[in-house]
Amino acid sequence: MVTDRTAPVETAALAAEVEGLLEPAEADGVFRDTRECGGALLLAALLLISPPTPRPKTDIR
Amino acid sequence: MAEQTQGAVPLSAVIADAATGVALALRGEGDPYALSGILRQSDALTPAAIRVLGADALAPYAMDQVGTPVGADDEAVVRQALTAYPPGADASEVSVWSYRGLVEASHAFLPGSAQHWPSPPEAAAGWVDHDPWPKLSHRVSQVAALALPGLAPGLTEQLATRTDDLARGFVRAVRRRDWLQAAGLGRWLARLPEAPQSLGLDSGLAFVRHMGGGDPRVALHVAAAQRFYGRGW
Repeated sequence: MVTDRTAPVETAALAAEVEGLLEPAEADGVFRDTRECGGALLLAALLLISPPTPRPKTDIR
Repeated sequence: MAEQTQGAVPLSAVIADAATGVALALRGEGDPYALSGILRQSDALTPAAIRVLGADALAPYAMDQVGTPVGADDEAVVRQALTAYPPGADASEVSVWSYRGLVEASHAFLPGSAQHWPSPPEAAAGWVDHDPWPKLSHRVSQVAALALPGLAPGLTEQLATRTDDLARGFVRAVRRRDWLQAAGLGRWLARLPEAPQSLGLDSGLAFVRHMGGGDPRVALHVAAAQRFYGRGW
């Protein structure tokens, strides 16, 4: 796209934009939910330490 | 949002370009810094971009070795910004502090025409004592441009009394993945004399640069902390 850095801009609107950029509202945080992560970790650990699925004995003779 | 002519560059892009130029200069990379070289007087958005960057527009001139002498064009673009966007009667405290920072930086780093610069406006600082720490952290990060050598000594002294709260804010910002806030707070903590050792500020700033360094203003804050206060890797 062709851009023009000398294009006229509306002064009052620009002043408002400047004020907005100087003091923007705090961004929403992006959290890793500790309880969710802990739950997933616990599940993975239980799966790892669980005994193997019982299988019927095969009679090899 | 300002209504701009179709095809015009948005203000945020001009600010990002300028912040990249300042960060490069602070890292000692790129061409010798000249404010009027990265923000030209003929650009319609130059005064607005300088007003938003505040004292950071002049940060490379605070270094011992700038590379090029300050020219009359630099003074002209700063004067444009100060004239075009003075804080109004209902301006926020952050806006007044940012303007004050630009005026102080002009006096300090563009001394050629010091007598012609406006006087720094009075800026209220009661919020430093009264704001709860999350709000304080948010606000302090917005005036990170004042964390330059010699600027805002009174504010620095006041903030030093709340160093622990700012350290809490730094950790909170990192956990929120708000890299701009984290970088601004890290820069202030680098300036303050007694940032807690347990904070791990150096590795924290390196982490912020790694995660958020794609944002030019994050890169600028981290570069300033490194250049002026030797913090961060």
